Amino acid sequence: MLRAELLGLVTTTATKVAAAVAVLGLVLTQLVLVTLLPALARGDVGPGAEALGDDLPQVDLGSAAAQVDALSPLGATLGGGSIGLALLAIVLLGVLAGTSDDRHGGIVGAVLASPRRGRLVAGKAAAVGLVGAAVGVVLALVSLVTLVGSLAVSGIPVVTPAGSIAATSVRGVLAVACLAVLGLAVGILCRSQLAGVLVMIGVLVAEPVVAAVAQLLVGGAAATWTQFLPVALAQSVIHGGTADVPGAVAVAALVGLTAAAVAVAGVALSRRDV
Amino acid sequence: MNAPAPLPLEARGLRKAFHGRPRVDDVSFSVRPGRVVGLLGPNGAGKTTTLRLLLGLVARDAGEALVLGRPYRELEHPARQVGAVLDAGGLHPARTGRQHLAVAAARAGVPAARVDAMLAKVGMTTDADRRAGGYSLGMRQRVAIAAALLGEPRLLVLDEPSNGLDPAGMHWLRGELRAFAADGGTVLLSSHLLADIQEIADDVVVIADGRVVAEATMADVLADPAAELEGWYLEVTGTEGVVR
Repeated sequence: MLRAELLGLVTTTATKVAAAVAVLGLVLTQLVLVTLLPALARGDVGPGAEALGDDLPQVDLGSAAAQVDALSPLGATLGGGSIGLALLAIVLLGVLAGTSDDRHGGIVGAVLASPRRGRLVAGKAAAVGLVGAAVGVVLALVSLVTLVGSLAVSGIPVVTPAGSIAATSVRGVLAVACLAVLGLAVGILCRSQLAGVLVMIGVLVAEPVVAAVAQLLVGGAAATWTQFLPVALAQSVIHGGTADVPGAVAVAALVGLTAAAVAVAGVALSRRDV
Repeated sequence: MNAPAPLPLEARGLRKAFHGRPRVDDVSFSVRPGRVVGLLGPNGAGKTTTLRLLLGLVARDAGEALVLGRPYRELEHPARQVGAVLDAGGLHPARTGRQHLAVAAARAGVPAARVDAMLAKVGMTTDADRRAGGYSLGMRQRVAIAAALLGEPRLLVLDEPSNGLDPAGMHWLRGELRAFAADGGTVLLSSHLLADIQEIADDVVVIADGRVVAEATMADVLADPAAELEGWYLEVTGTEGVVR
């Protein structure tokens, strides 16, 4: 089952395009945030930090925190919660994997070969998780290479311990795999490719809005529950947790959320006429 | 004393409604081993829904659908026991015919080496590495038939398998199905091509308005030397002179 689903994934253009967009999107993000902004601050390019004033975001790659942030396989965030191109491509990789069978009629052959549909969905989730992890490894390497290259050019030492670099990368790979599988579950639930893509983008776009509104409603402090929304959870996992949500809790919550979404998708497919 | 071998296919009082409208209503028939059975009926009669009910693709409202003595869902390695062609195989346009069969082989748990043999069998070796998006309907149908045969099943369930096939392809398919049955295999074949059915089927089941309206052996249908399946079909369905 896993082999068939893996073969199915790697022989479709959508998977390759989504993976390529994720990598290129990350390269662009990292070039801007990890390479260009520090170069602007140093005055290597542009009019220099003084001339740019407050328009130039402060990036201090000399700190361990900034270096760890820049190691994220979803791209550096500068402390914000913006949705990067890599993140979008990863979840859409899953969505397209989930809708492809319905769109092209392959679901009939899949269900005939595996009439216990929960197992079929589990096989798809495992395959998307593996492909997501493989893409995550590439993304983690891109982030690492970009950071190390930028630091070398700037003459800034790497102050992040090797263990911390490795842990951030491993957690990042896990987060990327979970996000891809979440996308798969949304795709299976929506069936329609357009609906799946729109729902997924809607969820991603709505999350920071919901978090901001919740923050306003509780008087300026970030509501803890908003840190259990998918993107916030993924960022928490990558960075080893937050003040409110320890790393282990974030990992358990993201894996649990992913497993729950896959289970719901499995039940939905089992009850559906194909 | 050994229990008798289960029938390859058995529909008992199958019912299915879509949006409150019955599409299949109390359909019962059985398919005996080693027989080619033609499932006939006008457009919208419920043939495809019946096939999907038998294969567990559509949930039944009532009745029982048994494949080799048990619900399809409970078969072990179903793709190695039952081959099916529905919807021209559901080929992903970005995959080549060979890749489609490789995925199907992996799903069925059969060796990848079977892919080349099946491509050769359906005459698709030359075009096997082209993307399915560029295939004609007949080529897609050939790949779908190859996928159905991958697991060396003993039962074939085919919905309009000759759609889009050229005359040579249709001739090949007729021969293949007869040889399959002669070798002990069983075929349930939905088709509007009555001349083909007359040539290859042993039995016919006719569905109209969701109900079985006739069930007969081909020998009985053609008992009168002047009889033809078409005349019998038009009579039992009451569709002579009716354009639907």
